[in-house]
Amino acid sequence: MALPDPAVSAVRKPPGVDLSIRIVHEQNRALGVVRGVVQPDAITMDAGAMVTAWTGHGIGYAASADLSPAGLQAAADRAIHWARLVDARGLFEGVALPRPAARGVVRAATVQQPIASRRELIEQLREEAAALNGDPRIVHWAASVHLSQTTQRQYLDGELVGDESFSFVVPNLEATAASGGRSQTRTLGGQYNGFCRQGGGEVIDLSGLRGGGARIGREALQLLDAPNCPNDRRSLLLAPDQMLLQIHESIGHPLELDRILGDERNFAGTSFVTLDMFGRYRYGSPLLNVSFDPTHAGGFASYGVDDEGTPAAKVRLIEDGMLRRPLGSALSVARARAVGFSFAGTANARASGWHRPPIDRMANINVEPGDSSLAQMVRDTERGVLMRTNVSWSIDDSRNKFQFGCEWGQLIENGELGAVVRNPNYRGVSATFWRNLAAVGRADEREWLGTPYCGKGEPGQVVRVGHAAPPCLFHEVDVFGAEQ
Amino acid sequence: MSTRSQPDLAARFAEAMRAVQQAARAGETTTGWISAEVSDFVRFNRGRVRQAGTVEKARIELRLIREGRQASFVQTLSGIAVDDRARIAAAFEELRLIVGDSEPDPHLAVSDLAVCRSTRLSSRLPDAQEVCEVVCTAAGDADLVGFYAGGPLACGFASSLGHSMWHEARPWFLDYCIYSGGDKAVKVTFAEPDWRAEAVAASIARARRDATLLDRPPKILAPGDYRAWLSPAALAELVGMMNWGGFSASALMSGQSPLARLKSDADRFSERVHLADDLAAGGLPRFQSDGFERPGCLGLVDAGRFGAALVSPRSAREFSLDGTGATPNEVAQALSLAGGELADGDAMAALGTGVAISNFWYLNWSDRAAGRLTGMTRFASLWVEHGEPVAPLSVMRFDDSLFRLLGSQLEALGRQVHRIPDTQTYDNRSFGLTMSPGALLAGLNFTL
Repeated sequence: MALPDPAVSAVRKPPGVDLSIRIVHEQNRALGVVRGVVQPDAITMDAGAMVTAWTGHGIGYAASADLSPAGLQAAADRAIHWARLVDARGLFEGVALPRPAARGVVRAATVQQPIASRRELIEQLREEAAALNGDPRIVHWAASVHLSQTTQRQYLDGELVGDESFSFVVPNLEATAASGGRSQTRTLGGQYNGFCRQGGGEVIDLSGLRGGGARIGREALQLLDAPNCPNDRRSLLLAPDQMLLQIHESIGHPLELDRILGDERNFAGTSFVTLDMFGRYRYGSPLLNVSFDPTHAGGFASYGVDDEGTPAAKVRLIEDGMLRRPLGSALSVARARAVGFSFAGTANARASGWHRPPIDRMANINVEPGDSSLAQMVRDTERGVLMRTNVSWSIDDSRNKFQFGCEWGQLIENGELGAVVRNPNYRGVSATFWRNLAAVGRADEREWLGTPYCGKGEPGQVVRVGHAAPPCLFHEVDVFGAEQ
Repeated sequence: MSTRSQPDLAARFAEAMRAVQQAARAGETTTGWISAEVSDFVRFNRGRVRQAGTVEKARIELRLIREGRQASFVQTLSGIAVDDRARIAAAFEELRLIVGDSEPDPHLAVSDLAVCRSTRLSSRLPDAQEVCEVVCTAAGDADLVGFYAGGPLACGFASSLGHSMWHEARPWFLDYCIYSGGDKAVKVTFAEPDWRAEAVAASIARARRDATLLDRPPKILAPGDYRAWLSPAALAELVGMMNWGGFSASALMSGQSPLARLKSDADRFSERVHLADDLAAGGLPRFQSDGFERPGCLGLVDAGRFGAALVSPRSAREFSLDGTGATPNEVAQALSLAGGELADGDAMAALGTGVAISNFWYLNWSDRAAGRLTGMTRFASLWVEHGEPVAPLSVMRFDDSLFRLLGSQLEALGRQVHRIPDTQTYDNRSFGLTMSPGALLAGLNFTL
């Protein structure tokens, strides 16, 4: 465990005020080969502190990159000033404001294999980029790896709450084929980096990047020549790299308790889920089991303690289709309790960095495996379409009416996979879509994926989120294709 | 009432700018792009303060160029001169090692025209207490939910070639809703050069009055084509989608632009559509992070046809194009759509029967290559009969072609062009804005 930061110990506060200090260091490195050219290395080195102050019914914050004793003291003074203003004009009258509950949680980065040297990585990216570009119709091709090393230490009144290290790895391949006024893009992990995990070199190995260039380039060409996805209602088989988006938008966001309490109505939106639905609302078919799991070692959003100091634990949000509990941090649960709704929460108060305060977020939100194989789900489908790899997403501000699009579609006719189709899209309503869940894939077909780009909050925050899911089959879904 | 002096960011980071200028050794070029802010952020929910604080944040993107090779290093700055000079020196030392191990970059571009300029715009900002008191008092018992963001905001560029460019302002906005119940709300984005408490209070009072219409039972529409009036905010959302790679030279040349059909003249918008990136009218910085000056106004769509692309110096090298001083990500920062002939006050009468859409939400491409997009109505969208708003609209999804909406279906553009500040604060606050009128559409295709 690292020694306490001396600057933290030096911070002074008046009686009746509690102070937490969260210090974050992050180093990012982006390597890429775009259209045959090795891109200039891009490194980011970021460090700063978030100071949170609690008074009777007030919370205030101040963030600064000046980590000297004077800098932290100035931030603490400012946070206290805000807390007193909030005490007088705030939302928390009658709310028992929680303080960080964890003490001394230490977590090291989970790295199984060291990450290759820059030179080795560039060589690998060059090789795959060349393989992507196997046809004159390929007009864009890129191979990339993003690496991040993060450490975070939290203190409450000088006492260590958590000391954690993280290693994030995000590999990708991308090819765009164009001809005759039409273009199609195929990727390894989605155009928004869905293959993302904590770990080391093993993440790159597991991603399929090595040797993946030829396949991705070939599939972009296949899509270019493919017919349009049909417009009709049929069964929909979603691969894990689309399930991640389906879970994210129509389960994860609607269950965020701060949305339900109205905080996000000016920006990210509200939720069709209301406080009285927990424990008695049927969210999906009995096959639907959804967990909040920030404890899985390789999950993109795994941690030991959240940014309000609540120890992380795996919990079930939806059980056999029934809604059990929200994604509610200690503060949100206390607010709900103050208006008459008591339920257990989750360790999901998260911030995008030292410069943002924590709010209710997803961590790893997963669909638990079932007992069907992908092959069996195909065999059991008379008329359907398999969709892979998210490319487009849109959902209403209550997280109900959605429309999603994928890179890759493949028709299923009479129990067999058939023709590839381009621009596969589907639309539905969250409140009914999950009730049409007809089969859930097995554990050995589940994939741990996520997104580096989950946006929410005022001020805005983009956080890393993980989603693990097997392939899943839904009945009676409206699907459709491209403009022409 | 307590007051807090606003920091002078130019003075705070002058030493960092000098450090960049002095960092180069023989055969090297060094550059630095600073973005800095001191921001007060206050969130409101149910007319009370939900979350409030201050963020002081500055970053410098350092670049070292030697023998046709380059690498970049983004370093957080503390605002303490001696500390920042040390951080910058250490970052350049690391860059020297990286560049020595790098490949030549054929698309390397940096302006060798050393420009010195400084723009510093002053305005009156409220202190923390005033923000909380004015908004909470004006909200009264109304269900106000919203967000205040304000404070000094700056960007600057320095180089060993002699560049020294700085742009600093003190923008603020109050972006808020008055909810009448469920998902129905009046949405306002309020910003003026100077904070005036009475103007803020008057805005909130007006929104509270407007919200009463939303108490009526909502109208539920069946999917289909409907006449529509898009408010300036709604049209700005639609036009903003073109900024998602639409005018980017890199996207256009690599098959990823949603406006490829406009560029090739396979499709056109209505002749009413004139769109520009108007930095001068928006009061935005006129330089970018490679040290190039940017044109005051760049015409992107001229009478419905493709005008100029946003060509960054890097794309200019890669694709042998003439650069247009675009930012590296080739997005417009002050999209400006010219107004038309329809007075805002006549919009409902011209609409007749149809939908008046206050805001769109969560737009995305359903067929990017064809310029087809989907999205939701949000907030105070209304059902209008014979020119009179009669009921709020239950949210509807549309899925339609941008070329159809701004082409064959575009009956008129509003006369008044509204300035809509960019309220995104994901990494930092923005200088950006959109200038947009409203639009009358003969048809908008609702699908769900």
